[in-house]
Amino acid sequence: MGDDEYYELYGEYVSLKELGIATLISSVIAMIFFSLAPSIANLIGTQATGLSITLGAVGAAIGFAISTLIIKVKRVVSEV
Amino acid sequence: MSLLLVVILSILSTLLYIFIGILPGTDETATMAPIALTLLLAGMDPMLVLVWFIASIAAFKMADSIPVALAGIPGGVMAVPQVPDALIAKEHGLADVILRKGIAASVVGQVVAIVVSLALSYYIMPVGDWLRATDVVLGVKVARWFWLVLVGVVVLALTSRNRFIALISIPAVALVFQGLRAVYGKSVYISFFLGITIGPMMFELLSMLHRELRNSYVRKGLKEVKLLKVEKISLNPLKILTKEELTHSTIWSAVTSVLATVMSPVGLTTLIGDLLRESKKDRVRGAVLAYTVRDAIKNATYIGGTLIPLLVIGAPTGPMAAGPAAPFFGKYDHLGMTARDFIVTHYDYLTIVVMIFISTAIAFLVAYPILVKYSRALTLAVFRRVPAEALYGLFIAIVLMLSYYDAKIAGIFGTIIVSLVSGALWRLGVSLGVLFMVLVSAPTLVPLLMALPI
Repeated sequence: MGDDEYYELYGEYVSLKELGIATLISSVIAMIFFSLAPSIANLIGTQATGLSITLGAVGAAIGFAISTLIIKVKRVVSEV
Repeated sequence: MSLLLVVILSILSTLLYIFIGILPGTDETATMAPIALTLLLAGMDPMLVLVWFIASIAAFKMADSIPVALAGIPGGVMAVPQVPDALIAKEHGLADVILRKGIAASVVGQVVAIVVSLALSYYIMPVGDWLRATDVVLGVKVARWFWLVLVGVVVLALTSRNRFIALISIPAVALVFQGLRAVYGKSVYISFFLGITIGPMMFELLSMLHRELRNSYVRKGLKEVKLLKVEKISLNPLKILTKEELTHSTIWSAVTSVLATVMSPVGLTTLIGDLLRESKKDRVRGAVLAYTVRDAIKNATYIGGTLIPLLVIGAPTGPMAAGPAAPFFGKYDHLGMTARDFIVTHYDYLTIVVMIFISTAIAFLVAYPILVKYSRALTLAVFRRVPAEALYGLFIAIVLMLSYYDAKIAGIFGTIIVSLVSGALWRLGVSLGVLFMVLVSAPTLVPLLMALPI
């Protein structure tokens, strides 16, 4: 696959490899945070269920931020 | 409950959903439901989560048409029907006209819908008790609201692009859901509806892995986006809409907010907008009117589709309540009841009304000036800095996590099959709203199907 060949998904151009990387980063961080929640909940004495989902979502968002920094945007914006 | 917390939550929600609204391709269910669910599971008072949710509707449905007006790219599924209107308006140099009309119409739509839904809900509250009562049909306990959902899903199926497949998919998909629930040993909901939400994306993604299908998706070079210039816009919303636009926005917001109790918001936005566009001889005037009123209907259907099922019925009877607002109808262990029941039993009607008005007022006070002043700068920043891959990766990660939370590793594979079935049916012309409604009705529909004497 050449450098400038992408796939159109939902009206956006994406590189499948980079989509895989972004998904992996967000998922791994989300699942690590998710599974850390019970021990953190034990420490601070709250319910684990809510904390797992909350931390997981935070983890996924951190993954999103990282992906935003390392993946190139496939749009050229021209101002007319 | 402190008023300060209400104000802070409304502001945070508004800022977050302005960003999500402008981001292209952000699906409403995938972005609104998981956050509401997270807040509920984290133990936040359901009333505060409702405050958050109402502000997010205001900001999201105002912001998602910004990239449509400026670049012809929808910021959410609900903004897709506005794309053809915007293209016509843009050809005639009216991008900034529709931009400001859309923003003003959103305010009209949300306020009208809140007044209508809250007034109507107050008067029809007794109907709720009747609807929640159960009858025994063919030996199966059936809540009366089930029939409302069933009629709704059949109507939705009949208005799908492929009504034959849509109709037969109702019992078929219900069996898939109930089958998986039986295997999991519990009534999971959230991962299934997220599976439906990402269905179209998963189906396209997996099609790209197929050597022959792949070619139709290949694009050379980068995606070119032309961003139009906008003139300075007046901050006074009343100056922006013409009398005709204001009248249509008000009437259709009132009507569609009630219809959204059982009907699909995106369906109503498409239908009413198309009717208005065709009613005008002048193509450009028709497009501008349709674009404006669609923006009002987007907010109105989201408000009505959430509030009426939430306050009156107590069950998700329409695609909005079964989709983005679904977490409010779920049962939570720490509450001992559904979030919706907690709200209506712990707060009097007046408090609920005041909270909804406060969150709407704050959302618009924050979003309106930001969007009027900085819509172009925000869109430019989002288009230049946020890669689509990062966003899609975030969606998939959240769906994976919630599937694992629902039923461990089996839950992930369950969600994969739900998303593939949904994506394939969507590709064949079945509206996703049908699948959301099937998800709600499946626990009653399948026992009825099994009890049929034939």
